Amino acid sequence: MAHHIEGSRNSCALHGALQVIEAIEGAVPVIHSTAGCGAQHFLGVNRLNAGSDSFGGPPVASSNISEKHVVFGGSSRLREQLKNTVKIVEGDLYFIVTGCSTEMVGDDIPAMNKEGRDQDFQVIYANTPGFRGDVHQGYQLAVKALIEQLPTLGKAVPPKVEGLVNILGIIPHQDPFWAGNLEELGRLLEGIGLKANLLFGYDQGVSAWQKLPDAALNVVLSVWGEAPALLLEERYNTPWLALEGLPVGSAAGAFLRQVTERLQLDAHRTELFIESEEKRLNRYLASLADTYYRAGFQREFALIGESAQVVGVSEFLTRTLGLLPRTLIITDNPPEESREALILRLTTLLEGAGTELFFSEDHGEITDLVRNSGAEVVLGSALEEGVAAELGAAFLQLSFPLSDRVVLNRSYAGYRGAATLLEELGSAILSHSYQSRRILQESY
Amino acid sequence: MTLLKARASLTREKQLEALNAWQGSALSAVTEFSDGELVKRIRTFSQSTEDDTLYALRLLAGIRNSVTVIHAPRGCAAAGLFHQVTRGQGRWIVTNLDDRDTIMGADRKLRKAVQELYHRYKPEVIFILSSPVVAINNDDIQSVVEELHEELEVDIIPFYVTGFASHHAVTGYDIASHALLKYLGGKGGEPDERVNLLAVGEHPEDRNEAKRLLTALGLELNILPDGASPDTFRSAASARLSLALDQDSGNYLGVTLREVYGVAYLPASRPIGIKATGRWLTEVGRALGLTEAASRLHEEESERAGRALGDFTLEGVRVYLGLSSANAFALSSLIEELGGEVMGITVNRLDQLHKERLDELSLRHPALQIHVADGQPFEEANIVKRLSPDLYLGDSNHIAQIGRLGIPVLSLEESPFLGYNGVITLARRITAALRNRSFGEALAHTPLSYKDAWFRRTPNWHIKKEVR
Repeated sequence: MAHHIEGSRNSCALHGALQVIEAIEGAVPVIHSTAGCGAQHFLGVNRLNAGSDSFGGPPVASSNISEKHVVFGGSSRLREQLKNTVKIVEGDLYFIVTGCSTEMVGDDIPAMNKEGRDQDFQVIYANTPGFRGDVHQGYQLAVKALIEQLPTLGKAVPPKVEGLVNILGIIPHQDPFWAGNLEELGRLLEGIGLKANLLFGYDQGVSAWQKLPDAALNVVLSVWGEAPALLLEERYNTPWLALEGLPVGSAAGAFLRQVTERLQLDAHRTELFIESEEKRLNRYLASLADTYYRAGFQREFALIGESAQVVGVSEFLTRTLGLLPRTLIITDNPPEESREALILRLTTLLEGAGTELFFSEDHGEITDLVRNSGAEVVLGSALEEGVAAELGAAFLQLSFPLSDRVVLNRSYAGYRGAATLLEELGSAILSHSYQSRRILQESY
Repeated sequence: MTLLKARASLTREKQLEALNAWQGSALSAVTEFSDGELVKRIRTFSQSTEDDTLYALRLLAGIRNSVTVIHAPRGCAAAGLFHQVTRGQGRWIVTNLDDRDTIMGADRKLRKAVQELYHRYKPEVIFILSSPVVAINNDDIQSVVEELHEELEVDIIPFYVTGFASHHAVTGYDIASHALLKYLGGKGGEPDERVNLLAVGEHPEDRNEAKRLLTALGLELNILPDGASPDTFRSAASARLSLALDQDSGNYLGVTLREVYGVAYLPASRPIGIKATGRWLTEVGRALGLTEAASRLHEEESERAGRALGDFTLEGVRVYLGLSSANAFALSSLIEELGGEVMGITVNRLDQLHKERLDELSLRHPALQIHVADGQPFEEANIVKRLSPDLYLGDSNHIAQIGRLGIPVLSLEESPFLGYNGVITLARRITAALRNRSFGEALAHTPLSYKDAWFRRTPNWHIKKEVR
């Protein structure tokens, strides 16, 4: 039985599905639910991501069912809404997603979808009521629908691309840096001669999803990408490589080596590429050294975020930047069977550091854990800002939800992401030291 | 007390014959409202928009020393995250109803959530917000409220929002106001000299501006529901007068305080612009026997504001307004006062409360086009594209779409505009919007995703009379 949650940051399945659809160019969501479902998503997700919304506002087509539909069923309203959405909104793919109320009423969505198909609408559907899970399940439901239903639409198939790699497991908006992270991973894969299929973001349309079966490899960047990868393996025999976390800094080099080995690419070329990337990062580290020592970067940190982010960022901060992992809190509720591996990996990052790992999405509980950690640096979401201030710790907002940051294509993945992280964490530590000092001085 | 006997207020449709889908001239709007029974209209295409659960949550988030239990599947709490993160308001939990709960009911879960939240934060009051799932299942919130009220000795207030019973999100304000007064009202002491300032979802600076002016008249204020504590609701019943800053959102509170507790209600006009603020002060002065002080204050303030405005004018500027109803009517007067021309307006609702303003408007501009829609940017974009105004003023959260039409746009969603200080801020922002149009021009390179065919249709194409 699902437990109540204070200050939940994982929203619901419908919202997760909307995040998928809105990040695909030319895909148009059609919500079949009460009017507020789309508005909740806009306020509680899009707006807490620096408003990075593709359409510009909360104008999602939505059947906005009223009392009579609750009593007598809302299928006819969906029929009408779908027909008119196709007439009004430009799109390559219309995607029906449902909310709790229409699922409880029992509207027959597959039948309505089929009716749309009979009229040659490019339409697919997913049942995504919020009582069925959070954004992560919503992501999986929407991606599953895309994998299974797109090939049945009879669209012209784009030409096959050699050396294509699909990137799975990054959930748009739930990872606030999704667009930049995907671009950087694409750049890295291109650096070793591959072509990345990013699937979300700029210039990633429905045709990118049609190319899913063509990939030589699926790269899975979080536990949430595993179900889609398994489905693709089952349907198309595509092998997959799971990372559990975002590769940040040198971990990106290790990732590229793994891909090279799996696809038997030119190892020499890969090494040359990694070498040049490493050299640049090392140069950045060297130029940071004076500030690093002067401001005392070597501090105990608490990190709160989704599993992929916590793995990637904590490894980089510990293994390259010399910080001490104190308390790590994973907020995306990874399935039980994947927790053991995460615990093993993250509590042994640094010998003697006494790193503690927790799984929680409860704001009250997380606040207590951070408070008790005594960390000197807190990296988390806007929800942790208060407790960071209580601790007198330096603070960086890097996980969902964000309140005072604008993120367009900034990345925390790969080599470029490592440099960005250095800039931002460094700035947070410096401004914190400066403020603390000024307050002390003024109190004389 | 009869008004508060019901467990929730009526919907705006039933209270005030509210319309949410309509388009026509100001004159025909007047006819519509004076011709007896209104014909209900619906949309055959619609876009997501706020509902009563969102409005109720917004109101509750602003109340101090409270915690809210959102009795719903997890996504219904998303807006709670927004209020918490962007405004530092509201502590809430969601009962996180799952598949099983939707079949079996979830009273036990609710009980446990309330208990835990109470023990953790010891709030003065606990709110329980219903949701579509709970409304459909008809879960028994009431008995949980009664049992736990006894057990925990704390006020527990249920809010019966549904998400589907009304097309008007403002019904959520009414439901919230109803329950707050039902459970907290009337427990105050002796009648006193205080004035209830009814402020619902106002910008904090606007609230301060109203407070500044009314305090200057020597009034002692009881401000609610924005920023109020449970005690404020208790003492509201013994105030001498209630004054709504915005009739649309404050009406239910004002009328209920009058009907149930005999507190006089002054549904004053909205203080937007120098003249209207003067009129507002006059109305307040007249109601409280402070006519002279009010007119002195207006003299001083209008002189100061006039100096600050300098030679600001909207001469030759054609403006479109996409605003909540009370703001739209008040701003249309202001635009004209400043020399501008109002080309058309979109309001989120028309109801009996707007009759007088409609009459005034239709006398001045019988042909002015009025569009009634809450959050239907596809229709608004169609209208605005046809009219091609010089400036668009809006307070909705879909304003970025209008911006993509390439015209100067000004959002009032997070900007103060009430009173004398408000008009100064507004003039500055309008000047900025008109002086530098580069951002809008850049946005116009990313056109809206509506088909050309839609822009060739009449904007009200999808508004139909409901077949019963």
